Amino acid sequence: MDPLIQAQGLRVRYGRKTALDDVSFSVPKGRVVGLLGHNGAGKTTLMKALVGLIEAEGRLNVLGLNPRRQRVQLLESLAYIPDVAILPGWATAAQLIELMSGLHPKFSAERARTLLRRTSVAVGDKVKNLSKGMVVQLHLALVAAIDAKLLVLDEPTLGLDVLSRKAFYEMLIDEWCDGERSVLISTHQVEEVEALLSDVLMLNEGKLVLAIPLADIEQRFTALGHDAAAADAMAAAHPLLRYRVQGGSAALFDGTPPPEVAALGQRLRPSLVDLFVALTRQPEINRTQGL
Amino acid sequence: MQTWDHQLPIYQQLADRLAARLLDGELTEGEPMPSVRALASRYLLNPLTVSRALQALDEDGLLETRRGLGIYVRPGARDRLRQAARERFLHNEWPALRDRLRRLGVTANDLKWEQ
Repeated sequence: MDPLIQAQGLRVRYGRKTALDDVSFSVPKGRVVGLLGHNGAGKTTLMKALVGLIEAEGRLNVLGLNPRRQRVQLLESLAYIPDVAILPGWATAAQLIELMSGLHPKFSAERARTLLRRTSVAVGDKVKNLSKGMVVQLHLALVAAIDAKLLVLDEPTLGLDVLSRKAFYEMLIDEWCDGERSVLISTHQVEEVEALLSDVLMLNEGKLVLAIPLADIEQRFTALGHDAAAADAMAAAHPLLRYRVQGGSAALFDGTPPPEVAALGQRLRPSLVDLFVALTRQPEINRTQGL
Repeated sequence: MQTWDHQLPIYQQLADRLAARLLDGELTEGEPMPSVRALASRYLLNPLTVSRALQALDEDGLLETRRGLGIYVRPGARDRLRQAARERFLHNEWPALRDRLRRLGVTANDLKWEQ
């Protein structure tokens, strides 16, 4: 089966700034892909390219279509929630359902109403009277009622309290993840979302620094927990990152460190947060170092 | 939300938690396991991770697949688990604990075993 997304050598430039630089990856069906990166790393640019809102150099194939040239057709099978609020404040949930029914060929009003029932939003509620968390839940209920193959979510849980985030993730797992459809979700909540992801794409200043299924992380990276006595030996083996864990220190390596070093520590699970810290840098840090 | 520690892979931690629920009697022998989707939703995990956890439990002989019906808790699973947990305790945890008790001079009387 063809991947739902195939990107090869994507490049997006805004004047002199290169927002995406030679980005290549593919997304199969049935995946929850986390798009991670600092602000300005290129996450929103990538998502806009995927849904055809902007032009990108290179090869891009989404659901077998060219997002820019076949945008209308693509949007029948792809649902996108951008990072800015776009549901009109004056509308009630019922009106939005009616609107979507008229606009979208694969939208099911019945399913939307069913999905809405698991939220705290009533059909008669107006968007402007809803809390942030409820607006996101409503939005997700609407897009999940589209018989789409791909869901693209740009920081959907930004600014939400923990209960709203939990409800969002539950709805996503329950109502979207059927093994056939995929979702691409960009977020800052790396720690929280790690367990939901099947794959990760990590951007740093426009470049893709990591593209890997989560299940493969432990094969490629090694995290070693160690005590103070082994600290120098660990440092000498050039880890990607050294950090603290409960009960001591740890070192993260790309690949396996030499056996004599590995013997000094205890294997831990390399977490996505640590990988994120290790592989991405705040742009300010690079500037002050004259890079 | 659930937190997963940094020791073991997440699927293994889930398998351990499900095994604990089994030991506690929350999951009944001969009864169907909750679906992958239900578990994924409850623990906020990717369904692939849940499948991997169930596979681990299956490999430990705690589950059985009934053709056309789904995944069930294997009869005798609780005993198997208890036995395995006993072995682990006696082999791994007890020796260290016993040494500690000796060093502290704790006797059988001090332990008040009958209470």
